[in-house]
Amino acid sequence: MNRSNPVVVVVDDSPSVKSLFEHSTASLGVELKTFSSAASSLAYLNSQKPALLFLNIIMPDKDGLTFLRELRGNPLHEDTAVIMISSKDYAQDRHAAWELGALEFISKPMPMQAITEAVKKHIS
Amino acid sequence: MSEAYLRFWGVRGSYSAPFASHLDVGGNTSCVEIRADGHLLVCDAGTGIIPFGQHLMQQDGIREMLVILTHYHWDHVCGLPFFLPAFAEDWRLNFFGPGQNAGEIERHVSAQMRAPYFPVSTDTWHAAVDYLQPPGGNLEHGPFRISYQNVHHPGITYGYRINLNGKVIVYISDNECLFLNKSIEQRYQEFNSEEQRLYDSMKREEYDSALQFMQGADILIHDAQYTPEDYEKKRGWGHSCYIDTVNSAIDAGVGQLYLYHHDPNYDDERINAIHQDCLRIIAERQSALDCHIAREGLTLDLA
Repeated sequence: MNRSNPVVVVVDDSPSVKSLFEHSTASLGVELKTFSSAASSLAYLNSQKPALLFLNIIMPDKDGLTFLRELRGNPLHEDTAVIMISSKDYAQDRHAAWELGALEFISKPMPMQAITEAVKKHIS
Repeated sequence: MSEAYLRFWGVRGSYSAPFASHLDVGGNTSCVEIRADGHLLVCDAGTGIIPFGQHLMQQDGIREMLVILTHYHWDHVCGLPFFLPAFAEDWRLNFFGPGQNAGEIERHVSAQMRAPYFPVSTDTWHAAVDYLQPPGGNLEHGPFRISYQNVHHPGITYGYRINLNGKVIVYISDNECLFLNKSIEQRYQEFNSEEQRLYDSMKREEYDSALQFMQGADILIHDAQYTPEDYEKKRGWGHSCYIDTVNSAIDAGVGQLYLYHHDPNYDDERINAIHQDCLRIIAERQSALDCHIAREGLTLDLA
Protein backbone atom coordinates (compact mmCIF):
# COMPACT_ATOMS: atom_id res chain seq x y z
CA MET A 1 0.00 0.00 0.00
CA ASN A 2 1.29 3.39 -0.99
CA ARG A 3 1.84 5.50 2.14
CA SER A 4 0.12 8.43 0.50
CA ASN A 5 -3.09 6.50 -0.07
CA PRO A 6 -5.99 8.12 1.76
CA VAL A 7 -7.03 6.30 4.91
CA VAL A 8 -10.60 5.09 5.35
CA VAL A 9 -11.52 4.08 8.90
CA VAL A 10 -14.46 1.83 9.75
CA VAL A 11 -15.67 1.47 13.34
CA ASP A 12 -18.17 -1.40 13.54
CA ASP A 13 -18.40 -4.42 15.81
CA SER A 14 -19.52 -6.73 12.98
CA PRO A 15 -16.80 -8.89 11.36
CA SER A 16 -19.08 -9.18 8.31
CA VAL A 17 -19.12 -5.42 7.89
CA LYS A 18 -15.35 -5.45 8.01
CA SER A 19 -15.32 -8.04 5.19
CA LEU A 20 -17.88 -6.01 3.26
CA PHE A 21 -15.63 -2.95 3.37
CA GLU A 22 -12.53 -4.98 2.47
CA HIS A 23 -14.30 -6.27 -0.65
CA SER A 24 -15.82 -2.90 -1.51
CA THR A 25 -12.65 -0.85 -1.26
CA ALA A 26 -10.09 -3.36 -2.51
CA SER A 27 -9.60 -1.64 -5.84
CA LEU A 28 -10.10 1.97 -4.78
CA GLY A 29 -6.53 2.81 -3.82
CA VAL A 30 -7.34 3.56 -0.20
CA GLU A 31 -5.84 2.24 3.00
CA LEU A 32 -8.59 0.62 5.07
CA LYS A 33 -8.37 0.50 8.84
CA THR A 34 -11.10 -1.30 10.74
CA PHE A 35 -11.87 -1.25 14.46
CA SER A 36 -14.44 -3.38 16.27
CA SER A 37 -15.30 -0.83 18.96
CA ALA A 38 -15.22 2.87 19.67
CA ALA A 39 -12.65 2.32 22.40
CA SER A 40 -10.29 0.34 20.21
CA SER A 41 -10.35 3.03 17.52
CA LEU A 42 -9.24 5.79 19.85
CA ALA A 43 -5.58 4.85 19.85
CA TYR A 44 -5.62 5.75 16.16
CA LEU A 45 -8.22 8.52 16.06
CA ASN A 46 -6.76 10.45 18.98
CA SER A 47 -3.83 11.39 16.79
CA GLN A 48 -4.80 10.69 13.18
CA LYS A 49 -7.39 12.19 10.88
CA PRO A 50 -8.65 9.73 8.26
CA ALA A 51 -9.83 10.89 4.87
CA LEU A 52 -13.18 9.26 5.59
CA LEU A 53 -14.65 7.69 8.72
CA PHE A 54 -17.52 5.20 8.72
CA LEU A 55 -19.25 4.82 12.10
CA ASN A 56 -21.80 2.25 13.18
CA ILE A 57 -24.46 3.41 15.66
CA ILE A 58 -25.31 0.38 17.79
CA MET A 59 -22.07 -0.94 19.25
CA PRO A 60 -21.61 -2.73 22.55
CA ASP A 61 -19.25 -0.21 24.13
CA LYS A 62 -20.67 3.08 22.88
CA ASP A 63 -23.27 4.28 20.41
CA GLY A 64 -21.82 5.83 17.28
CA LEU A 65 -23.67 9.13 17.66
CA THR A 66 -22.27 9.75 21.12
CA PHE A 67 -18.86 8.71 19.86
CA LEU A 68 -19.10 11.13 16.93
CA ARG A 69 -20.04 13.95 19.27
CA GLU A 70 -17.01 13.18 21.41
CA LEU A 71 -14.80 13.11 18.31
CA ARG A 72 -16.17 16.48 17.17
CA GLY A 73 -14.93 17.88 20.48
CA ASN A 74 -11.40 17.06 19.39
CA PRO A 75 -10.14 19.87 17.11
CA LEU A 76 -8.53 17.21 14.93
CA HIS A 77 -11.97 15.87 14.02
CA GLU A 78 -14.15 18.96 13.98
CA ASP A 79 -14.44 18.62 10.22
CA THR A 80 -13.50 14.97 9.65
CA ALA A 81 -15.63 13.46 6.88
CA VAL A 82 -17.99 10.97 8.54
CA ILE A 83 -20.61 8.59 7.20
CA MET A 84 -22.93 6.80 9.60
CA ILE A 85 -23.81 3.18 8.83
CA SER A 86 -26.54 1.51 10.83
CA SER A 87 -29.29 -1.06 10.92
CA LYS A 88 -31.28 1.73 12.57
CA ASP A 89 -33.16 3.70 9.98
CA TYR A 90 -35.13 6.12 12.09
CA ALA A 91 -35.63 9.81 11.29
CA GLN A 92 -34.45 10.75 14.80
CA ASP A 93 -31.11 9.03 14.24
CA ARG A 94 -30.67 10.51 10.77
CA HIS A 95 -31.40 13.97 12.13
CA ALA A 96 -28.92 13.49 14.98
CA ALA A 97 -26.27 12.36 12.51
CA TRP A 98 -26.78 15.40 10.29
CA GLU A 99 -26.63 17.72 13.28
CA LEU A 100 -23.24 16.24 14.06
CA GLY A 101 -22.08 16.95 10.54
CA ALA A 102 -22.26 13.44 9.09
CA LEU A 103 -22.14 13.56 5.31
CA GLU A 104 -24.38 10.58 4.75
CA PHE A 105 -26.42 7.99 6.62
CA ILE A 106 -26.29 4.59 4.97
CA SER A 107 -28.77 1.99 6.17
CA LYS A 108 -27.74 -1.62 6.54
CA PRO A 109 -27.95 -3.82 4.60
CA MET A 110 -26.09 -1.82 1.98
CA PRO A 111 -24.78 -3.34 -1.25
CA MET A 112 -21.03 -3.12 -1.78
CA GLN A 113 -21.67 -0.65 -4.56
CA ALA A 114 -23.09 1.84 -2.05
CA ILE A 115 -19.85 1.69 -0.09
CA THR A 116 -17.72 1.96 -3.20
CA GLU A 117 -19.68 4.98 -4.46
CA ALA A 118 -19.56 6.73 -1.08
CA VAL A 119 -15.80 6.30 -0.83
CA LYS A 120 -15.24 7.52 -4.38
CA LYS A 121 -17.55 10.49 -3.86
CA HIS A 122 -16.02 11.72 -0.64
CA ILE A 123 -12.38 10.80 -1.18
CA SER A 124 -12.19 12.56 -4.49
CA MET B 1 -44.03 -8.92 51.29
CA SER B 2 -40.50 -10.27 51.13
CA GLU B 3 -37.41 -8.08 51.28
CA ALA B 4 -36.80 -8.46 47.56
CA TYR B 5 -39.52 -8.00 44.98
CA LEU B 6 -40.34 -6.51 41.60
CA ARG B 7 -43.62 -4.72 40.97
CA PHE B 8 -45.11 -3.45 37.73
CA TRP B 9 -46.60 0.04 38.12
CA GLY B 10 -47.00 0.78 34.41
CA VAL B 11 -47.00 -1.66 31.50
CA ARG B 12 -48.35 0.26 28.51
CA GLY B 13 -46.34 1.62 25.63
CA SER B 14 -46.75 4.88 23.71
CA TYR B 15 -49.50 6.48 25.79
CA SER B 16 -51.69 5.65 28.75
CA ALA B 17 -54.85 3.66 28.22
CA PRO B 18 -57.29 4.35 31.08
CA PHE B 19 -60.16 2.43 29.51
CA ALA B 20 -62.36 -0.06 31.35
CA SER B 21 -61.64 -2.64 28.66
CA HIS B 22 -57.87 -2.34 29.31
CA LEU B 23 -57.60 -2.22 33.07
CA ASP B 24 -57.13 -5.90 33.84
CA VAL B 25 -53.72 -5.50 32.16
CA GLY B 26 -53.40 -1.85 33.18
CA GLY B 27 -53.43 1.59 31.63
CA ASN B 28 -50.31 3.33 32.93
CA THR B 29 -47.12 3.66 30.90
CA SER B 30 -43.74 2.14 31.74
CA CYS B 31 -42.59 1.94 35.34
CA VAL B 32 -41.17 -1.00 37.28
CA GLU B 33 -40.11 -1.00 40.93
CA ILE B 34 -37.39 -3.36 42.09
CA ARG B 35 -36.72 -3.39 45.81
CA ALA B 36 -34.08 -5.39 47.64
CA ASP B 37 -32.19 -5.20 50.92
CA GLY B 38 -33.62 -1.77 51.69
CA HIS B 39 -32.64 -0.32 48.30
CA LEU B 40 -34.94 0.89 45.59
CA LEU B 41 -34.41 0.76 41.83
CA VAL B 42 -36.99 2.20 39.45
CA CYS B 43 -37.03 1.39 35.75
CA ASP B 44 -38.58 4.24 33.74
CA ALA B 45 -40.86 7.03 34.83
CA GLY B 46 -44.02 6.81 32.76
CA THR B 47 -47.42 7.48 34.28
CA GLY B 48 -46.98 4.37 36.43
CA ILE B 49 -44.54 6.30 38.59
CA ILE B 50 -47.38 8.59 39.74
CA PRO B 51 -49.30 5.99 41.80
CA PHE B 52 -45.94 4.55 42.81
CA GLY B 53 -44.95 7.94 44.23
CA GLN B 54 -48.23 8.17 46.13
CA HIS B 55 -47.53 4.71 47.53
CA LEU B 56 -44.02 5.70 48.59
CA MET B 57 -45.28 8.75 50.47
CA GLN B 58 -47.38 6.49 52.67
CA GLN B 59 -44.53 4.23 53.75
CA ASP B 60 -41.65 4.72 56.12
CA GLY B 61 -38.13 3.54 55.58
CA ILE B 62 -36.55 4.01 52.19
CA ARG B 63 -35.89 7.62 51.24
CA GLU B 64 -33.54 7.14 48.30
CA MET B 65 -33.86 5.58 44.88
CA LEU B 66 -32.07 5.18 41.59
CA VAL B 67 -34.26 5.83 38.55
CA ILE B 68 -32.86 4.31 35.36
CA LEU B 69 -34.44 5.63 32.18
CA THR B 70 -34.32 3.68 28.94
CA HIS B 71 -34.79 6.89 26.94
CA TYR B 72 -36.68 10.15 27.08
CA HIS B 73 -39.74 9.53 24.94
CA TRP B 74 -42.77 10.90 26.75
CA ASP B 75 -44.27 7.58 27.77
CA HIS B 76 -41.11 6.92 29.79
CA VAL B 77 -40.73 10.26 31.58
CA CYS B 78 -44.17 11.90 31.67
CA GLY B 79 -44.91 10.76 35.22
CA LEU B 80 -42.03 12.73 36.72
CA PRO B 81 -43.84 16.10 36.95
CA PHE B 82 -46.35 14.39 39.27
CA PHE B 83 -43.94 12.17 41.21
CA LEU B 84 -44.48 13.20 44.82
CA PRO B 85 -41.13 12.10 46.33
CA ALA B 86 -39.39 14.59 44.02
CA PHE B 87 -41.26 17.38 45.79
CA ALA B 88 -40.44 16.10 49.32
CA GLU B 89 -37.38 17.37 51.18
CA ASP B 90 -36.51 14.07 52.82
CA TRP B 91 -36.02 12.16 49.58
CA ARG B 92 -32.92 11.62 47.46
CA LEU B 93 -33.40 10.79 43.77
CA ASN B 94 -30.61 9.61 41.52
CA PHE B 95 -31.23 9.57 37.78
CA PHE B 96 -29.43 7.73 35.02
CA GLY B 97 -30.21 7.39 31.33
CA PRO B 98 -28.75 7.95 27.87
CA GLY B 99 -26.49 10.97 27.73
CA GLN B 100 -22.90 11.93 27.28
CA ASN B 101 -22.60 13.22 30.83
CA ALA B 102 -24.60 14.04 33.95
CA GLY B 103 -25.46 17.51 32.65
CA GLU B 104 -26.99 16.12 29.49
CA ILE B 105 -29.05 13.61 31.47
CA GLU B 106 -30.31 16.48 33.63
CA ARG B 107 -31.26 18.51 30.55
CA HIS B 108 -33.19 15.59 29.10
CA VAL B 109 -35.03 14.86 32.35
CA SER B 110 -35.92 18.49 33.04
CA ALA B 111 -36.84 19.47 29.46
CA GLN B 112 -40.48 18.43 29.76
CA MET B 113 -40.93 20.57 32.89
CA ARG B 114 -40.46 23.91 31.20
CA ALA B 115 -42.89 26.57 30.08
CA PRO B 116 -45.01 26.37 28.04
CA TYR B 117 -45.19 22.61 28.50
CA PHE B 118 -45.50 22.58 32.29
CA PRO B 119 -46.01 25.33 34.86
CA VAL B 120 -43.20 24.41 37.26
CA SER B 121 -39.65 23.33 36.55
CA THR B 122 -37.46 20.74 38.22
CA ASP B 123 -36.08 23.67 40.25
CA THR B 124 -39.19 23.26 42.39
CA TRP B 125 -38.21 19.75 43.36
CA HIS B 126 -37.35 19.76 47.05
CA ALA B 127 -35.72 16.33 47.04
CA ALA B 128 -31.96 16.05 46.73
CA VAL B 129 -31.54 15.17 43.06
CA ASP B 130 -28.43 13.80 41.47
CA TYR B 131 -27.78 12.93 37.84
CA LEU B 132 -25.21 10.19 37.49
CA GLN B 133 -22.18 10.50 35.29
CA PRO B 134 -22.01 7.54 32.89
CA PRO B 135 -19.63 5.10 34.55
CA GLY B 136 -16.78 3.36 32.80
CA GLY B 137 -18.27 0.01 33.77
CA ASN B 138 -21.40 -1.03 35.64
CA LEU B 139 -23.75 1.17 37.61
CA GLU B 140 -24.10 0.15 41.23
CA HIS B 141 -26.88 0.89 43.67
CA GLY B 142 -26.99 -1.12 46.90
CA PRO B 143 -27.18 -4.78 45.88
CA PHE B 144 -27.91 -3.91 42.24
CA ARG B 145 -25.18 -4.25 39.60
CA ILE B 146 -26.46 -2.75 36.37
CA SER B 147 -25.04 -2.88 32.86
CA TYR B 148 -26.65 -1.25 29.86
CA GLN B 149 -26.55 -1.51 26.10
CA ASN B 150 -28.00 0.31 23.12
CA VAL B 151 -31.06 -1.33 21.66
CA HIS B 152 -33.01 -0.92 18.44
CA HIS B 153 -35.31 2.07 18.94
CA PRO B 154 -35.26 5.63 17.58
CA GLY B 155 -32.59 7.76 19.22
CA ILE B 156 -30.27 6.45 21.89
CA THR B 157 -32.20 3.90 23.93
CA TYR B 158 -30.80 1.60 26.59
CA GLY B 159 -31.69 -1.86 27.72
CA TYR B 160 -30.63 -2.71 31.27
CA ARG B 161 -29.24 -5.96 32.66
CA ILE B 162 -29.61 -5.97 36.43
CA ASN B 163 -27.78 -8.44 38.63
CA LEU B 164 -29.33 -8.77 42.07
CA ASN B 165 -27.48 -11.16 44.33
CA GLY B 166 -26.94 -13.55 41.42
CA LYS B 167 -30.44 -13.21 39.97
CA VAL B 168 -30.51 -11.52 36.56
CA ILE B 169 -33.34 -9.22 35.48
CA VAL B 170 -33.20 -7.78 31.98
CA TYR B 171 -35.37 -4.75 31.26
CA ILE B 172 -35.77 -3.84 27.59
CA SER B 173 -38.89 -1.75 27.30
CA ASP B 174 -38.54 -0.54 23.71
CA ASN B 175 -36.73 -2.63 21.14
CA GLU B 176 -37.41 -3.81 17.62
CA CYS B 177 -36.16 -7.39 17.54
CA LEU B 178 -34.61 -8.70 14.33
CA PHE B 179 -34.95 -5.43 12.40
CA LEU B 180 -31.75 -5.85 10.40
CA ASN B 181 -32.41 -9.51 9.76
CA LYS B 182 -35.80 -8.69 8.26
CA SER B 183 -34.25 -5.90 6.18
CA ILE B 184 -31.71 -8.36 4.82
CA GLU B 185 -34.41 -10.92 4.01
CA GLN B 186 -36.48 -8.29 2.21
CA ARG B 187 -33.56 -7.22 0.00
CA TYR B 188 -31.78 -10.56 -0.27
CA GLN B 189 -32.41 -11.02 -3.99
CA GLU B 190 -30.83 -7.63 -4.76
CA PHE B 191 -27.46 -8.83 -3.50
CA ASN B 192 -24.79 -10.73 -5.39
CA SER B 193 -23.58 -14.09 -4.08
CA GLU B 194 -20.69 -12.60 -2.09
CA GLU B 195 -22.97 -10.03 -0.51
CA GLN B 196 -25.49 -12.76 0.30
CA ARG B 197 -22.76 -14.78 2.02
CA LEU B 198 -21.69 -11.79 4.09
CA TYR B 199 -25.24 -10.83 4.98
CA ASP B 200 -26.02 -14.39 6.03
CA SER B 201 -23.21 -14.17 8.54
CA MET B 202 -24.26 -10.63 9.52
CA LYS B 203 -27.71 -11.98 10.40
CA ARG B 204 -26.14 -14.53 12.72
CA GLU B 205 -23.90 -11.89 14.29
CA GLU B 206 -26.80 -9.53 14.82
CA TYR B 207 -29.00 -12.17 16.40
CA ASP B 208 -26.20 -13.51 18.60
CA SER B 209 -25.40 -10.00 19.76
CA ALA B 210 -29.04 -9.29 20.63
CA LEU B 211 -29.38 -12.58 22.48
CA GLN B 212 -26.15 -12.12 24.41
CA PHE B 213 -27.57 -9.21 26.40
CA MET B 214 -30.60 -11.23 27.54
CA GLN B 215 -28.78 -14.56 27.70
CA GLY B 216 -29.74 -16.67 30.69
CA ALA B 217 -31.82 -13.97 32.33
CA ASP B 218 -34.00 -15.21 35.17
CA ILE B 219 -36.53 -12.52 34.31
CA LEU B 220 -36.81 -10.73 30.97
CA ILE B 221 -39.18 -7.77 30.68
CA HIS B 222 -39.36 -7.02 26.97
CA ASP B 223 -41.28 -5.01 24.41
CA ALA B 224 -43.98 -7.18 22.79
CA GLN B 225 -46.12 -4.38 21.46
CA TYR B 226 -47.47 -5.63 18.17
CA THR B 227 -49.37 -8.47 16.59
CA PRO B 228 -47.85 -9.65 13.27
CA GLU B 229 -50.55 -7.75 11.37
CA ASP B 230 -49.84 -4.46 13.14
CA TYR B 231 -46.10 -5.00 12.98
CA GLU B 232 -46.27 -5.12 9.20
CA LYS B 233 -47.89 -1.66 9.25
CA LYS B 234 -45.50 -0.28 11.86
CA ARG B 235 -42.22 -1.91 10.95
CA GLY B 236 -39.45 0.56 11.70
CA TRP B 237 -41.28 2.18 14.61
CA GLY B 238 -38.87 0.61 17.09
CA HIS B 239 -41.13 -1.99 18.69
CA SER B 240 -41.30 -5.76 18.50
CA CYS B 241 -43.82 -8.23 17.23
CA TYR B 242 -44.54 -10.55 20.16
CA ILE B 243 -43.57 -13.58 18.08
CA ASP B 244 -40.02 -12.25 17.72
CA THR B 245 -39.92 -11.44 21.43
CA VAL B 246 -40.94 -14.90 22.54
CA ASN B 247 -38.63 -16.64 20.08
CA SER B 248 -35.71 -14.46 21.18
CA ALA B 249 -36.43 -15.28 24.83
CA ILE B 250 -36.50 -19.00 24.04
CA ASP B 251 -33.24 -18.80 22.08
CA ALA B 252 -31.57 -16.81 24.87
CA GLY B 253 -32.44 -19.41 27.50
CA VAL B 254 -34.51 -16.97 29.53
CA GLY B 255 -36.33 -18.30 32.60
CA GLN B 256 -39.36 -16.03 32.76
CA LEU B 257 -40.57 -13.64 30.06
CA TYR B 258 -42.93 -10.76 30.86
CA LEU B 259 -44.59 -9.35 27.75
CA TYR B 260 -44.36 -5.58 28.19
CA HIS B 261 -45.01 -2.17 26.61
CA HIS B 262 -48.47 -3.24 25.51
CA ASP B 263 -50.04 -1.33 22.67
CA PRO B 264 -52.60 1.14 24.08
CA ASN B 265 -55.03 0.11 21.35
CA TYR B 266 -55.13 -3.48 22.61
CA ASP B 267 -57.74 -4.34 25.21
CA ASP B 268 -57.46 -7.09 27.80
CA GLU B 269 -58.96 -9.67 25.48
CA ARG B 270 -56.46 -8.96 22.74
CA ILE B 271 -53.47 -9.10 25.08
CA ASN B 272 -54.73 -12.36 26.52
CA ALA B 273 -54.91 -13.71 22.96
CA ILE B 274 -51.30 -12.63 22.38
CA HIS B 275 -50.31 -14.45 25.55
CA GLN B 276 -52.11 -17.59 24.45
CA ASP B 277 -50.30 -17.52 21.12
CA CYS B 278 -46.97 -17.11 22.94
CA LEU B 279 -47.81 -20.20 25.00
CA ARG B 280 -48.57 -22.06 21.76
CA ILE B 281 -45.18 -21.07 20.30
CA ILE B 282 -43.40 -22.13 23.49
CA ALA B 283 -45.16 -25.50 23.45
CA GLU B 284 -44.43 -26.03 19.76
CA ARG B 285 -40.76 -25.32 20.38
CA GLN B 286 -40.80 -27.60 23.41
CA SER B 287 -39.31 -24.82 25.50
CA ALA B 288 -39.46 -24.46 29.28
CA LEU B 289 -39.85 -20.66 28.98
CA ASP B 290 -42.33 -19.35 31.56
CA CYS B 291 -44.23 -16.55 29.79
CA HIS B 292 -46.55 -14.02 31.42
CA ILE B 293 -48.34 -10.80 30.67
CA ALA B 294 -46.82 -7.87 32.58
CA ARG B 295 -49.86 -6.54 34.43
CA GLU B 296 -50.11 -3.40 36.50
CA GLY B 297 -49.80 -4.37 40.17
CA LEU B 298 -48.24 -7.75 39.46
CA THR B 299 -45.52 -8.40 42.04
CA LEU B 300 -42.74 -10.95 41.71
CA ASP B 301 -40.89 -12.33 44.70
CA LEU B 302 -37.13 -11.99 44.15
CA ALA B 303 -36.02 -13.50 47.44
